[in-house]
Amino acid sequence: MNSKMKQLLTAFAMSCTVMTASVGVQADELAEGKKLAFDRSKGNCLACHMAGDGAQPGNIGPALIAMKLRYPDKQKLYNKVWGTDDAMKVPNSMMPEFGSHGILSDDEIRKIVDYIYTL
Amino acid sequence: MKKTLMSALAIGVTLIATSPAVLAVDPEKDRQNFVEFFKAKSPNIAFEDYKDGGYVYSADKRAQWEAVEEFPPYLDSIDAGQALYEKDKAVYEKCFGKDPSNVRQHYPYFDEKTKQVVTLEWAINLCRTEAGLEPFKYKKGDIANLSAYFGYQSRGEKVAVKIESDAAREAYNKGRDLFIKPVGQLGLSCAKCHAYNAGRYARADLLSPALGHTTHFPVFRAKWQELGTLHRRYGGCHQNMRAEPFKAQSEEYRNLEFFQAYTSNGLEINAPGYRQ
Ligand code: HEC
Ligand code: HEC
Repeated sequence: MNSKMKQLLTAFAMSCTVMTASVGVQADELAEGKKLAFDRSKGNCLACHMAGDGAQPGNIGPALIAMKLRYPDKQKLYNKVWGTDDAMKVPNSMMPEFGSHGILSDDEIRKIVDYIYTL
Repeated sequence: MKKTLMSALAIGVTLIATSPAVLAVDPEKDRQNFVEFFKAKSPNIAFEDYKDGGYVYSADKRAQWEAVEEFPPYLDSIDAGQALYEKDKAVYEKCFGKDPSNVRQHYPYFDEKTKQVVTLEWAINLCRTEAGLEPFKYKKGDIANLSAYFGYQSRGEKVAVKIESDAAREAYNKGRDLFIKPVGQLGLSCAKCHAYNAGRYARADLLSPALGHTTHFPVFRAKWQELGTLHRRYGGCHQNMRAEPFKAQSEEYRNLEFFQAYTSNGLEINAPGYRQ
């Protein structure tokens, strides 16, 4: 699917995804989110962020800690990782836009966000 | 200070996108900004030290590296390069002159006749094909060995790339463009890793400064267990960015090398190098 179209479609889907997910997240879903976050060919968040007990993290981005405290609104966190137009943008940032660039699926991003929300 | 320089680099992107490359930036001013950028980022690192790549940022890694450089694993490759040189000596002398220690420091240069950037590896193959010899493959093996031999002979000489025409300025700007513009699925640019985030870690990899990137190539990489050329490395980085790599010695990579070498002007050549 071309990424413009994908962006449009997911803009609709997005708000629903996060709302339903935040009610209660299963442990195996969290484990899956962690795996996706650490996997080099998926999120590869450790390339740039310290996160949980991940080995040899990079230090290009800020440590992913106290996420609940820093993102009372979980949707904002999801938007940042997805790369929505209204998400916080930092000039010359290395942070990939995982959704808008089609790097990960919306469901994968949701699982990753659920996981880092526990950090 | 740091902020303005960072935005100076960034502003170039918009300029380049909207105007012909020739008009984009003045290379000499740009080079000075580039050097200033690294100086502002790390005031305690001496300019001369940027020939040592990422090792400027870590005393530990530098110590390990210096230990390896005492008995470096690339010595056999330099010998192999010398043997290649001797084998077709008459051919190379015709192209490069009789003194093999007076070659590397003249590359890359902009050839005003063909309007092309000529890199050392490109020149070696031009020379060979003109003499009816088979060209070498561009990323490793013979080409890297011969290039390492020339580089080793020129150790201590300084990078001194000249830009003296609009066409050369355009090649510089094209290379600069390739360096600065984000590409690929991850939205990364060379500048993001090797300028803005130089000195930081991507997992366990220490990101080297772009200043000095060309001084020590070809490089013996622990991961490769052999010598590889600069363009092999360019291809590897593009791949990591999930962008389509260009061919080694394509016009794009020759322009990129031209940009990188020009911004490294004044640094010592210390090829070949060892890298983790
Ligand atoms: C190539 C480097 C890189 C990768 C890979 C990366 N990030 Fe980032 N990230 C950054 C940088 C740099 C920043 C800070 C600048 C910004 O906010 O854009 C950042 C910022 C963030 C922020 C906002 C800052 C904060 O702490 O609140 C979040 C959340 C985040 N990243 C999550 C992730 C997640 C989750 C992943 C993996 C799915 C990931 N990042 C992968 C580089 C990266
Ligand atoms: C995601 C980060 C990243 C991006 C983007 C990136 N590189 Fe690299 N590059 C690295 C890492 C990691 C290394 C190995 C450690 C080092 O020497 O920096 C490296 C190594 C290099 C080296 C070898 C340095 C040496 O001293 O041996 C060169 C040259 C280089 N990159 C050029 C480029 C160019 C040109 C681009 C853009 C086309 C680019 N890189 C994009 C991460 C990156």
